[in-house]
Order: sequence, then structure tokens, then C-alpha cells
Amino acid sequence: MTVQTEVRSAEKGVVLITPPLPGTTNMEIDEALLAGATPDSPVVLRIYRWKEPTLSLGHFQSVEDRDEEPGLSNVALVRRKTGGGAILHDHELTYSLILPARSAAEKGHSEKLYRSVHLAIAKGLQSLGWDAVLSETCTCSTATNPKQEPFLCFSRRSPVDLIVGQYKIVGSAQRRTKLGLLQHGSLLLRSSTLTPNLQGLLDLPNSNQENLEERSRSVGIHQTQDEIEFWTKQLVLWLQSGVSQVVECGWQPAALADFPTLEGMKAC
Amino acid sequence: MSIVPENLRYLDSHEWAHVSTDEPGIATVGISSFAVEQLTDLVFMALPKVGQEVTAGHEFGEVESVKAVSPMYSPVSGTVVGVHEELVNRLDSLNQDPYGNGWIMKVRMSDPSELTKLLDWPTYKHQCENS
Repeated sequence: MTVQTEVRSAEKGVVLITPPLPGTTNMEIDEALLAGATPDSPVVLRIYRWKEPTLSLGHFQSVEDRDEEPGLSNVALVRRKTGGGAILHDHELTYSLILPARSAAEKGHSEKLYRSVHLAIAKGLQSLGWDAVLSETCTCSTATNPKQEPFLCFSRRSPVDLIVGQYKIVGSAQRRTKLGLLQHGSLLLRSSTLTPNLQGLLDLPNSNQENLEERSRSVGIHQTQDEIEFWTKQLVLWLQSGVSQVVECGWQPAALADFPTLEGMKAC
Repeated sequence: MSIVPENLRYLDSHEWAHVSTDEPGIATVGISSFAVEQLTDLVFMALPKVGQEVTAGHEFGEVESVKAVSPMYSPVSGTVVGVHEELVNRLDSLNQDPYGNGWIMKVRMSDPSELTKLLDWPTYKHQCENS
């Protein structure tokens, strides 16, 4: 495999932060952004949440497999175009990255993008006092070593997953077409009553709680909504830093209305 | 006769087509060893169905490697007349023999002249070496 090693330069990047939307709309937006990608399109970094707790299945996962998690049987359901395991989108932030392809010859996943993005988030979390590192372990099923993986993404481990202690905090998955690369990822902020065995970042020990509280106060965090804004801003900065290892972008804010391919979704 | 990569025609997205002299209207389709290498560990493949119409340059199936899904694009247009169903449970065949036991589908071509638009081995090899 020849991995793309050079950093693509001088590209336009846009940051799209959308309000909480239904699961189908969230997925349709990402799919439309990938389907509308051209070599001249900007790199898109989108941060979003979900209107209600929603279970997103990995592209090839079976709906019946959610019986493994009885607490999720009545949760809203949607299927991602990206691979990997199921994610309960409750107390978390979701991101998507769309990188237009330079050629149809690019195939498969880009470990460099996974790794650089997760390393940037780990570095950011370390600065806030969490012992965040890459997992460097694997529960992966392969053609030569088939096995049943856990249903939930956050119960699985791949070497580039981001963990704090024994808990996975960030996981990502990709879809690569000849038009471009879509990477989905999730930052788990807090445990959900629907998946009590999983812990979120804010449930886990922080060696510098005082510093975090001071930083939070400095940006005016007093309520849940402020907390979401704080973590959204942090995630944008870390993702931009991670993406810059693969594509050097000049970033600008954007809105759904700026994308002609999302014409039918502007009412959302 | 075993299929050798030098005798195949390729899409730039790494799918190959082979036409045997025994069945001149039928193209056997697969993905190249370079693609298998790029995809790394394969965990799932969605195949087309016999009777399905496929179009050159358009998706005919999907493959999932660890956490990444990639569509597969058909090098020719026509009707699917054979599908390698066993491949789904033996994806390691693609690692071991991508041009033989790793074949994916057979297509009765509606326009055999499309083959001339595909890359020959030297051109494809050059693309892989420079990507």
C-alpha cells in the first residue's frame, strides 16, 4: 500500500456547526456533502448533536444485533455510511470530516487521518488534565482472524482509538469513494443511562480539575448549554490541528445554506 | 489457464476485468492486489445479485475493511450473470489470489468496446507506483 504521506496544501476548509437534528437528517447532510464533493470543494469539518438519543449502526451492522444491548431496543435508529460499530448519540458530540478526493486511485481507509486527528484530541485533553492516549490494542475482526466484535463502537478497540484509563472516549470510522473521504467520529462526554457500562470523558478522573474549572469559568461555562459550546469549540480546534497534518487548510465558518447540494435540507 | 495481472484491464479505482477466449462476451471482475493491500484487513463484502444491471464506472458492491467502507466500481456495463457468493465467507481469498479465487462477479457485457477505455497493465502499474 502506498499511503498518502505528503501534506496537501493551501486548501479551503469550512467549519459547519449545526443544531441538534433528527438522525436521518444528520446522516443525509453528511452523505450529501460527500456525494457533492468535487476536486474544488472545500474540506468540511462539521460538529453536530442529535435531537433525541439515537443509535447509529455501522454500515454493515444488522439491526437484530442491537438485542445484545436490551436498553437500546426502543431508541431511534439510523444507519451510517461509515463502517465500525454502533454508537449511542446521547451525551456526546459527533463530528464529520469530508475531504474531497484528488484522484479515484485513493482507496480504503486513511490511517494517517484517524491517527493525526485522534492524537490532536489526545494532546488537547492532556492539556486539560486527562490521561488520554491511543489504545494501540485491537479487538478487530479480520478475514484471516474472524471473530465476533462487540456491538457498540465504544466497547471495541482499534489501535488508533482514543482512551482515558480503560474507557474509549473517541472513536472514528470512514467511507472512501472516488469523490472523497468521509470520516465520522464521536467524543463521548458523559455516560448515558441507556449504556451504563460506558463512561464519558467528564465521568473520568482529571488530574487538573482546578485548572479545568478555571478555564471553564474563563469562557463562561455555568450551564449544560455552555458546556456544549465549550467542548464544541475545543473539538473544532483539535480537529483543525489534526487535519492540518494531512491537509493544510485556511478555515472559515459556514452554514447549511452555503452548500447547494443541501438545498432540500435548509428548512431543518 | 490462470489469470495474470499483465493480461487484465483496469479502472483507476483498482477494479480489473478479464475476458476469456472461451467466453468472449463475459467479463470476470475483481479488485487488484494493490487495492487489497490498501484496504488492509477486510471484514465484509456486499455483492451484486445475478440479473442485476451494472454500468461502467458506477458502484456494484461495497467492501468494509477495519472501520472503513469503500464502494467497488464496475469496469464494464452489462448484466451480472455470476457472483462469487463463497467469497463473503472467505475474504482471505482476496489476499491470497485476487486474480483467481478472488474474482467477484461475471458480467455479460452490453458494450465490449468499453474494455478499450480501461487502463492496460503498464499504465495501471505506473499509477499505483506513483499514487
